[in-house]
Amino acid sequence: MLFPFALITNNSFKTETEYYANGPYSLFKSLNLDTLKKVWNLMDYSIKLRNSIVISMSVALLAIVISLSTAFALGIGKVKGKSFFIMFFLLAFVLPQEVLVFPLYHLSKLVGLYNTRLSVIIIISVLYSSFGTYFLSSIFSAFSRELIEAAEIDGCNKLQLLFRIIVPLSMPSLSILFVFFFIWSWNEFFIPLVFLVSNDNQTITIAMAMAQGQHGATLTLQSAAALLGVIPCIIFFVLFQRTLTKGITLGSIK
Amino acid sequence: MTHKDYSHNTKIATLKASSSLNKGYMVFLIPGVLLFLLIIVFPLLANIGLSFTKWSGVGTPVWVGFTNYMKAIRDSYFLTSFKNALLLVITVTTIPTLIGLLLAGFIFEYILDKFGRGIAIFFRVGFYLPQIVPIVVVGIVWRWMLQPNWGVLNWSLKAVGLDTLTRSWLGDTSTALPSIMMMMIWFQIGYPLVIFIAALQRIDPVVYDAADLDGASRLQRYFYITIPLIRPEIFVVVLTTIIYTLKTFAQVYVTTKGGPGRATIVPSYFSYQNFFIRSRVGYGATITTVLTIIIGLVAIGFIRMQIKQEQEG
Amino acid sequence: MLKKMTIILMLVGIMLVGIFVNAEIAFAEKSDVVGTLKIWDMEVDNAFSASWGFAREEFKAMYPNVTVQYELKTFEQMQEMGKMILSSDEVPDVMQCNKGNATAGMYASEGLLTDLTAEAEARGWADIMGSSFQTTCRYNNQGIMGSGNLYGVTNYGEFVMVYYNKDMFEQYGVEVPTSMAEFEAVCDKFVVAGIAPISLGGLTGWPIDHAWYELVLYKADRDLINNYQLLQGDVDFQGTAYTFGAEKFAEYATKGYFDPKAMGVSYDDANGAFVQGKTPMNITGSWWYGSALTGITDYDWGIFLLPGKNLYEGSGGDLWVVPEKAKNKDLAYEFIDLTMQKEAQTVMANAGGIPINADLTQITDPHVLDLNRVFSSIVQKDGLAFYPDWPVPGYNEVLIPSLQELFAGTVTPEEFNNAISIPYNEYKESLK
Repeated sequence: MLFPFALITNNSFKTETEYYANGPYSLFKSLNLDTLKKVWNLMDYSIKLRNSIVISMSVALLAIVISLSTAFALGIGKVKGKSFFIMFFLLAFVLPQEVLVFPLYHLSKLVGLYNTRLSVIIIISVLYSSFGTYFLSSIFSAFSRELIEAAEIDGCNKLQLLFRIIVPLSMPSLSILFVFFFIWSWNEFFIPLVFLVSNDNQTITIAMAMAQGQHGATLTLQSAAALLGVIPCIIFFVLFQRTLTKGITLGSIK
Repeated sequence: MTHKDYSHNTKIATLKASSSLNKGYMVFLIPGVLLFLLIIVFPLLANIGLSFTKWSGVGTPVWVGFTNYMKAIRDSYFLTSFKNALLLVITVTTIPTLIGLLLAGFIFEYILDKFGRGIAIFFRVGFYLPQIVPIVVVGIVWRWMLQPNWGVLNWSLKAVGLDTLTRSWLGDTSTALPSIMMMMIWFQIGYPLVIFIAALQRIDPVVYDAADLDGASRLQRYFYITIPLIRPEIFVVVLTTIIYTLKTFAQVYVTTKGGPGRATIVPSYFSYQNFFIRSRVGYGATITTVLTIIIGLVAIGFIRMQIKQEQEG
Repeated sequence: MLKKMTIILMLVGIMLVGIFVNAEIAFAEKSDVVGTLKIWDMEVDNAFSASWGFAREEFKAMYPNVTVQYELKTFEQMQEMGKMILSSDEVPDVMQCNKGNATAGMYASEGLLTDLTAEAEARGWADIMGSSFQTTCRYNNQGIMGSGNLYGVTNYGEFVMVYYNKDMFEQYGVEVPTSMAEFEAVCDKFVVAGIAPISLGGLTGWPIDHAWYELVLYKADRDLINNYQLLQGDVDFQGTAYTFGAEKFAEYATKGYFDPKAMGVSYDDANGAFVQGKTPMNITGSWWYGSALTGITDYDWGIFLLPGKNLYEGSGGDLWVVPEKAKNKDLAYEFIDLTMQKEAQTVMANAGGIPINADLTQITDPHVLDLNRVFSSIVQKDGLAFYPDWPVPGYNEVLIPSLQELFAGTVTPEEFNNAISIPYNEYKESLK
């Protein structure tokens, strides 16, 4: 399973001639950073990294805010037609993204948001908040009604109820959602591909795909590019591992 | 969930309170619904509308009624793309799910007992790791490994003397789609695995007592008792994987771009070609509309089936 | 938990800084600071990047108070997103654009490019280019090249040829072929020796259609080319030229002239194989010449045209275009001018390009002289036959898969020619 990762790590430290001469299995001769450096510069990696972080952080936050609001109404407020709303929102998860892009492209041009990270952030947040709504509303439904009633009797208005009681109570679920959204948006490819034009707006996934195209070149460069794409993900994984696996399982059960 | 019994008075008070609460809560729905209408519903409707037009992306669309749909039915690329999607769905859903079931059982029942939590977690993490990586990078890594002359796979085959088995994996019509399937299976295994392991954890061991008394082996126990018990999770995994696989795009974009010939063309990528490269926006919209309808039908069909099963079971 | 909170706070902090920094940049752009020039091109580490990089430096020296914003794009990105970008406000002021009906023609017909006719006259670009190169610069209102306003200017030429490894030729006792029969004999010799004669990057797609089109040109004449490219007259896809081309391509595939694994090899890897000395020949364009000059260090190499015909794949180079929505057109014209002048053009020549306005008597590198000499000979014979994917927007999306199927032998030459005729005729119909 982990074999490909080991391979690209090994081969990113080789020079081209080394690879062609000895093949992918030979251990690299020295920690040759040239290939990695070349790919880093060619891709403007630090800028793409910044963009990916900004977009993923913003999406995670925005999607949670939207999900909180909607799930609050559905899960706690028990608004009429709750299941209809949930189905309605889950529609977003079913759609292929190609369906959305052309109309959204024109919309974004209209409001001057084409080629901005904000457009990508908004679109992806809305898409993810469908899952967030579903996830949170089923959790909120399970909250004890007594608690909520007690809060109301104490003179809490809804906003206070939301922020002083619900949010702290659901912190574990919120943090799971945050990690999910962060990682999913980090891996998003299609929407950034369409909406981000300038080199200094683009994300790592786009840079990866571009690196394979015209300026792709040798097998060692490809390996180095792949490695640079994998490393941030592994870092996140190590940081958020426990939260993640807890989350996957919680979200699966209807 | 246990229900508490309220006294009559409190009940009335609660009812009154909830109806006023109800109205107040609608407000919180508004941002989500508005954004949703704007970002999801409007484009979806626009897309369906576009599927009835001929448009190059600039200027005004021209209404052509069902022409695009008629064209699609006769277009071998269109039909092949859905055929490939079907093949992908079948393999990428069943194989990882089956492997996931077997591995979950193996890790949970055997590894956990024999080697303890640490090793079990190591396995779970290891299998799940590919899911963390962007699918784009996965495609790049696999493309790199499948390079016909110096890629890892062929190199390995040659090294053990299996020269005849070397292929142009992504370049050969007969191996291109299977190669992509392999890549997607590798990527996908972690997902069912993790979900099933968690599912196994929620089973009350009491359930097994009768079976153990009867002298059932662990294997029998797993297949006849455990698996039926985790049916809800299996259902979710299968449904979400099917939907995900039907939307395959980046995997093809980064490796074969639909080739060689029509071997790996899938609906999402085909619509992308039409939207952006061939400037046939109307036709692209037709493809995505058909794909959406199919996904919708699959989802509805599955959910209905599950509701029926729940009612029966 | 605390550790995670700290990390999250850190990341939030970074994000806020990022947004702040970007807000500043956005402000600077939106206030239309006089003195910005956005340049996009798709070249790196070759003759063009050398020449145009030189021109950018010249520009910066001439206009020290202008900020030059240069972005390196990829061919795929421009092919896929080009139209969406050009119809938005996020356009550069000057950009490198693929010539031909399918790209530049389409953009021109949809009003996305500035008409450069007047500017070209005034600044003498039209004279520099001469009439032969203007074919790919002029587009009518249907987007077909050859007539109409001037929407782009080019400053170099290009063509497709066979790069060959002189050492390997010597080693296997073959000489540069002077006829098709000889060429095939050379290939046979290598196949017998267990070496794939011709590198081909099938996975990337477009390199295949170059190889095929060259074979079609054996039986084509200027009339056919004009009909095909300008979408005038009738093109018989089952006629002599196309049948010959498809049959030969399939034949070469079956005989193993191309690496049988070619469809799984990318363009870069195919070039790499040639550079590493693994294949004796590489059929690709002059755009790769600069990379060959710097990359091939282990053996002696040269070029020859596929022998036995009078038409060759080639044309004027990519165009500089100024998007209609560009904000700094005058500065764009200044930059274009610099790339057309002798200084930048000579840099291109020295780096292995085919400039149209350089003083070649100053060049001493035999490889460079060779390249330019061969190109001149084609131009003198009026032998430039352009490229096969030009007539129809997105034609490659049909050409390439069909060629891949022809290569694999899953379709016959007749079926292939039929498959590629359909979108061509459809498009032609739609223009009426």
